[in-house]
Amino acid sequence: MNESPVIQTRGLTRYFGAKAAVHDLNLEMPRGCVYAFLGRNGSGKTTTIRLLLGLLEPTRGEGTILGHDIRHLPPEARARIGYLTEEHQLYGWMTVRQCGEFQSKFYPRWNEKIFRGVTGHFNLKPATVVKNLSRGERAGLCLALTLAPEPELLVLDDPALGLDPVAHRSLMESMIYLTRRSDRTIFFSSHQLADVERVADYLAILDRSVLRVSCSLETFRSSVRQVRLQFPGTPPPLPAIPGLLQVFRTESELRLTCVHYNGATEQTLRALSPAQLDLEPLSLEDAFISYLGERGEKSFILSETEAQP
Amino acid sequence: MKALIQKELRENLKLAVLGLIVISAILAIEIHSYSLGMKSLAAGRSEYVNWSALQPLVSPELLMLVAYFCAIFGALLGWFQIHNERHRDLWAFLVHRPATRTQIFLGKLVGGLVLYVLVTGMPLAGLVLWAVVPGHVAAPFEWQMLSPIALFLLSGVIYYLAGMLTGLRQARWYGSRALGLGLAVLVSVEIMDVPYAWQALGVVLIGGSILALAIWGGFHSNGFYRGQPAPGKPALVAALTPGCAFLVFLAFAFVFLGLLHLRDESTDRHFQVTRDGAIYKVIRQPGQPAEIADLEGKPALDPNTGRPAKLEDFNKRACNWISVNPRFDNHRYRYRWYGAARNELFNYYGTTPDTLWYNWNRYGRLVGYDVKTRQVIGSLGPEGFASDLSGNGSRLRIESGRAQVIVDGRILCTPDLEHRDLKELFTVTNEDCAAASLATNPAECVIGAVAPVSMYGSYMASPGSYIEHLNLIVGSGRENDILVVTRCFIRLIAADGTVVWTVPYQPAYPDYNQVRVTRLEATNQFALWLEPSWLIQEKTGGKLASHVIQIDGQGQVLKNIELPDLSYHPRTYSAQDKIMCVSLPPVVTAIIPLFSEQPWLKNIPWVLVGCSLAAALVCLPFGWWLGCRYSLSLPARVGWSVFILFLGIPGLLALLCAEEWPAREICPACQNLRVVDREKCEHCGADFRPPEKTGAEIFEPLAAAK
Repeated sequence: MNESPVIQTRGLTRYFGAKAAVHDLNLEMPRGCVYAFLGRNGSGKTTTIRLLLGLLEPTRGEGTILGHDIRHLPPEARARIGYLTEEHQLYGWMTVRQCGEFQSKFYPRWNEKIFRGVTGHFNLKPATVVKNLSRGERAGLCLALTLAPEPELLVLDDPALGLDPVAHRSLMESMIYLTRRSDRTIFFSSHQLADVERVADYLAILDRSVLRVSCSLETFRSSVRQVRLQFPGTPPPLPAIPGLLQVFRTESELRLTCVHYNGATEQTLRALSPAQLDLEPLSLEDAFISYLGERGEKSFILSETEAQP
Repeated sequence: MKALIQKELRENLKLAVLGLIVISAILAIEIHSYSLGMKSLAAGRSEYVNWSALQPLVSPELLMLVAYFCAIFGALLGWFQIHNERHRDLWAFLVHRPATRTQIFLGKLVGGLVLYVLVTGMPLAGLVLWAVVPGHVAAPFEWQMLSPIALFLLSGVIYYLAGMLTGLRQARWYGSRALGLGLAVLVSVEIMDVPYAWQALGVVLIGGSILALAIWGGFHSNGFYRGQPAPGKPALVAALTPGCAFLVFLAFAFVFLGLLHLRDESTDRHFQVTRDGAIYKVIRQPGQPAEIADLEGKPALDPNTGRPAKLEDFNKRACNWISVNPRFDNHRYRYRWYGAARNELFNYYGTTPDTLWYNWNRYGRLVGYDVKTRQVIGSLGPEGFASDLSGNGSRLRIESGRAQVIVDGRILCTPDLEHRDLKELFTVTNEDCAAASLATNPAECVIGAVAPVSMYGSYMASPGSYIEHLNLIVGSGRENDILVVTRCFIRLIAADGTVVWTVPYQPAYPDYNQVRVTRLEATNQFALWLEPSWLIQEKTGGKLASHVIQIDGQGQVLKNIELPDLSYHPRTYSAQDKIMCVSLPPVVTAIIPLFSEQPWLKNIPWVLVGCSLAAALVCLPFGWWLGCRYSLSLPARVGWSVFILFLGIPGLLALLCAEEWPAREICPACQNLRVVDREKCEHCGADFRPPEKTGAEIFEPLAAAK
């Protein structure tokens, strides 16, 4: 198997006006993995995807996808990349069958069986006009159009956006069962942590246009830790702790979320003389929210809250 | 690409059907009104006849409607083709497929053009078919007549491309997206300005190529200037510049002419003769009452008040005139290509109760059509009537708008359409021929101009003070007189062929090529004005005098007065000219006069070029500074500077509209503002600093799946 990264970027940056939507992105995505691309709204996920596919010109930096410069992707490379757009836009006047016929004429490896299989899974009638499809059905049709050319690399931009739970589940099932192949790489952005947990090998997190995380799910989970410190009286002020994400302060308790918790961190915390120090497990969703939530300290001291008018 | 073309056809079908309905309705109305006119003419009434649309294929109204329709429909079609997919996800769906951007562009272009041609071409082809089949149109037909329709149809393609560019272009200022339409407008203006159809075709092809190249580049860069392939950038700039020029020109006109009321301060001077034969000098200056004085300098007085006459009162006492510019070299006035199809191929000549007659230039004869059957009945030539179009091949020379025809350049005849015959009026004398053979080559005509005095009648519709005294002239019983100019003589000939007077053509042609005749009704005399040509006046600095020859009713020359040529004055330019030229590209100011049809205008107006150039020189450092500020490469800066030097203010505006101006931020190394789209600081060469670490980064090497 070719060991070169499927996607590789160096200093990839894109400005919109004076604002950097993607800032100095250095990414390497190995072949055959499922890579989840996470971040809050406006963090630059879609811009990154559009840059990678040559749909936007980078302000600076460079990148390759399947070994080709992202600025000049040849048709052969595009034939190997399936792209599911964020809002599942299609030609409203086409029928489901016409969509398939239109798309099939561009792809030499078009697999009609897959197209029919996915559209069948979503109960799409061939004669239905696209503009009459529900959002979930349109997502299904988009997925069928993306999968039928049997691409090597699937780029899915928030595939479940705006879908109801049933449609969402249906889409994810299709993704899981139809896309997972050892020679296929999947790069998808999402806000659905449960989906990420189910299908992704690796995740990357964009925080305000900057890539802060790129690791396996397990590494992420183990790197983001929550510590509860109980004190007999009012907790003392915290010293500077590297990797500290959030602090919740109550009358007798401090709850810390931090990254890269290690012996040195523990030593610093024990120096505060807590009555009790507990490491608490975090789900992926908790870890993600903690990671991307507001940084700094928050107080939940009842007397202070009551004292406020 | 086939799939893309099919998609485009299907996607824009609704707009196409709508367009088809509109153009079909326009043509149906045209056909209906033509038929109505012919029926009413056959019934002896002419109120429904549109005399300018006797051949509907070259009717000015139809051509204008076709031109407008093609432009509007083309622009809408082009814009919709892109706009339909401009939602970013649908655009991504379109371009992310195994096809080159060129293929996608061509797919759209071919699809759009097929629709455009079907919508505009099919109904027009139907109209042509209807007009060509005998019995429908009682007027000559030649395939050449289709050139205006074909070219207007073709010019709609330019609007189609401009609409496409408007839809495609990404620009911060939305209005600048539509600047490409400026090139389409320029092409429309230019094709109306060039004399020949092939030149108009050339203009369309050049404009179309520029726009197509700009769009092709836009497909490669998703509508941005940055990222375009090398030929796309200059094409885009060329496509935007005319729009910029129009904007600048309109802004100047609005500010200086509209708000500041800057007006041309030129003075009008001319001689005017009154009906009693007195000659006055009239000087009109803006904002001042006209000065009217006789040749001795005494002011013209109002006979009722005894005070200096006002111009409007004086005009009522003044005579009108007929004016001809004789040409002996068989020259025909060259119409522009769109007018040539109507005015050079054939002219409406006259009617009888049951026939319509045309001067058909191809045959050089008057060709008659039956009004009821709308079929050819025959032709009238020098030898008389023939039942076919060409007779024995002999030809007449028929001046446009003249009742008389000239046979062989020597005989003047009046056609009698009722009896389908020619009536001889005047034949040149041996003296005329001898002088002609001495002075000219044998192919040249002896008769240089024929002007019926009834031409006065053509002013009848004009509003204002002319009407009163024109009535006097037309009502004087001499309205059928004809002025005939040969190389040697100028003659006034009565309707029955009697020569009223003959005067030597002296000073002679070609230096004196303007002949004016004024009838002095009060004294039954004539004033013949011989005026020098503009060309000779340019050469002599306006030194040649005008000659006024006063002739009595019996043809005796009473007086010969020499007057300075007041109409000639060294060319000067008003403040209005100069200010408006500031808005124009220097290259345009310099080149436009070279294309003038008037030989005396074919000089570069250096004063005006200087104004444009001064504006360009002011813009130049600003353009250079912009280039430095945004760190454009040296070749780009030099290129833009040269561009601004040639194009002036519109060039600077094109620079502002075309380039995408990157954000700038402070370089931590040198503290200068640097553009964000360079890998290194343009001032100190420092790299961009990576985003600040928060200490919460989690990175690990990722392994490929096994």
